[in-house]
Amino acid sequence: MATQSVGVTIRRRRRSRRWSTRNIVLVAIMCVVTVVMLYPFGFMLNNSFKTERQFEGAAGHSIASWRALGHAIPVGRELLNSTIVCVGSIAIIIAVSSLAGFAFAKLRYRFAVLVLVGIIAAMLIPMQSIIIPAYVNLSKVHLLSGYWAAILLYAALGTPFATFLMTTYYRSLPDELVEAAIVDGLSYRGTFLRIALPMSIPALVTVAVLQFIQIWDDLLVGLLFLQNTNDRTITVGLGVLSSGRTTDVPVLMAGSIVSAIPAIVVYLVFQRQLVSGLTVGMGK
Amino acid sequence: MSLPAFVLVALLLGIPILQAAYYSMTDWNGITAHWIGPRAYRREFTDPTFWRVLQNNGVLLLAVPVALLVGMAIAFVLNERIPGWRVFRTLLFLPTAISWVVIGMVATRFFASEGTLNDLLRSMGLGFIHTDLLSGERTALIAVAIAFVWSMVGTNTIIFLTGMATLDPALHEAARIDGASGWTIFARITVPQLKRFIQFAFTITVISAFTALFSLIFVMTGGGPGYGTTTLEFFVYQTAFAKGAFGLGAMLGVVLFVIMAIVGLVQLRVLRTKD
Repeated sequence: MATQSVGVTIRRRRRSRRWSTRNIVLVAIMCVVTVVMLYPFGFMLNNSFKTERQFEGAAGHSIASWRALGHAIPVGRELLNSTIVCVGSIAIIIAVSSLAGFAFAKLRYRFAVLVLVGIIAAMLIPMQSIIIPAYVNLSKVHLLSGYWAAILLYAALGTPFATFLMTTYYRSLPDELVEAAIVDGLSYRGTFLRIALPMSIPALVTVAVLQFIQIWDDLLVGLLFLQNTNDRTITVGLGVLSSGRTTDVPVLMAGSIVSAIPAIVVYLVFQRQLVSGLTVGMGK
Repeated sequence: MSLPAFVLVALLLGIPILQAAYYSMTDWNGITAHWIGPRAYRREFTDPTFWRVLQNNGVLLLAVPVALLVGMAIAFVLNERIPGWRVFRTLLFLPTAISWVVIGMVATRFFASEGTLNDLLRSMGLGFIHTDLLSGERTALIAVAIAFVWSMVGTNTIIFLTGMATLDPALHEAARIDGASGWTIFARITVPQLKRFIQFAFTITVISAFTALFSLIFVMTGGGPGYGTTTLEFFVYQTAFAKGAFGLGAMLGVVLFVIMAIVGLVQLRVLRTKD
């Protein structure tokens, strides 16, 4: 009873402090900052509903550019390509990183530490440093047509961090859990599939969300490793369109919105996982 | 069980980085390669274009503290739990979700001669200042750097906010009772406690400045005017895929890798010694 009333008075005092002059000023400043940060979204939305002439100064709005978007780039096809590439590489990343993370965290075997350090050290390799040999290698094995080269490369680029994150996560699970499962007659594989894997779903979601945004938004790998025009992702399609000589800005803006929506939705739904994944790199 | 991960990383990252090291000492064109040796590096290091490109990376490095300071300031305000801080947090982090391609397209129109920036200046009665950052060899990089800072602010804000949530409020309370001003508390207590988070944000921002801006540059300037916005990562792409000099491109990739490895190792070391 007593503690409850203390809680109420503190809350009341906070409430009165919330709208102090200082806070009102700070909220005003934050509103300005937010406008600056959201400016591109407003710009895209506003200008996508214009024709080229309206963009250059004529008054009014129109949906002509949204109609023209489908003729400028195959939007549906490119969204599908983006989805295929994302799903394919994320599936590979999740499969290999959860397996490896579990092994590094819970099993003792020769060279385990060495292999772990090797994989984590690969985080230091920038995409641009390996892209030329990787390009030549993959073209030699004829993987440059179709999705495979991009899927495999995205998977390889995402695996080091994912493995690090999964290893950290599995280490936080008690060893007794694995021991109990083994005593109860489960094999290592059974323990992993039936016990560890279901428990690690939050970490796997973090991995998937981080990778989705990374891969969906990437240009360089798609530009080089998706050689058929029909296989281009939406980001590559837009990048190529915008670097062309004659560009219709309102159409580009409509395309930008289409390409940004999936990433924004994923961001809004999985905000918490995204933030936790961002800071896991710091360790404990 | 860790074999699939190892094979994937070894085949697509490990072997290629070794190949890059080897081919960097050849005149590789993708098909044939003749051995040149370490001489290849010496030759490139005396090329003024190479230093012009590194200079661009240096300029981007100057943008890093700006991206950190703005992020820190916003995090500080939000951490005061001002009304609606959660909404602000969500909105400010939103640019992190959209691609550099999209950011670049909007930024190009913002900085253009007939773009929003000049409209803005005119409406503020500053019409006599006419900017055209993107068409100047020296100024285009400023536009790229501003777009870069803009899109890194959200990430840094989140890192600092996470850090501030871990702080011990008792320390602040004690300092306040001892009569320390808000600024003193921030400078003497908050910042030192956030050291690890600041280092982390710094590393992430440097890595992004050096390796994540390909798409931004591709869309905004294509590396130009001249070599005005060609950074090392963009130079790798240009050298290999526009000029067909795969050996030289591989070398530039190796140089980039060495720089990034140093940044990464320093970060690891700093974190280790703190624990």
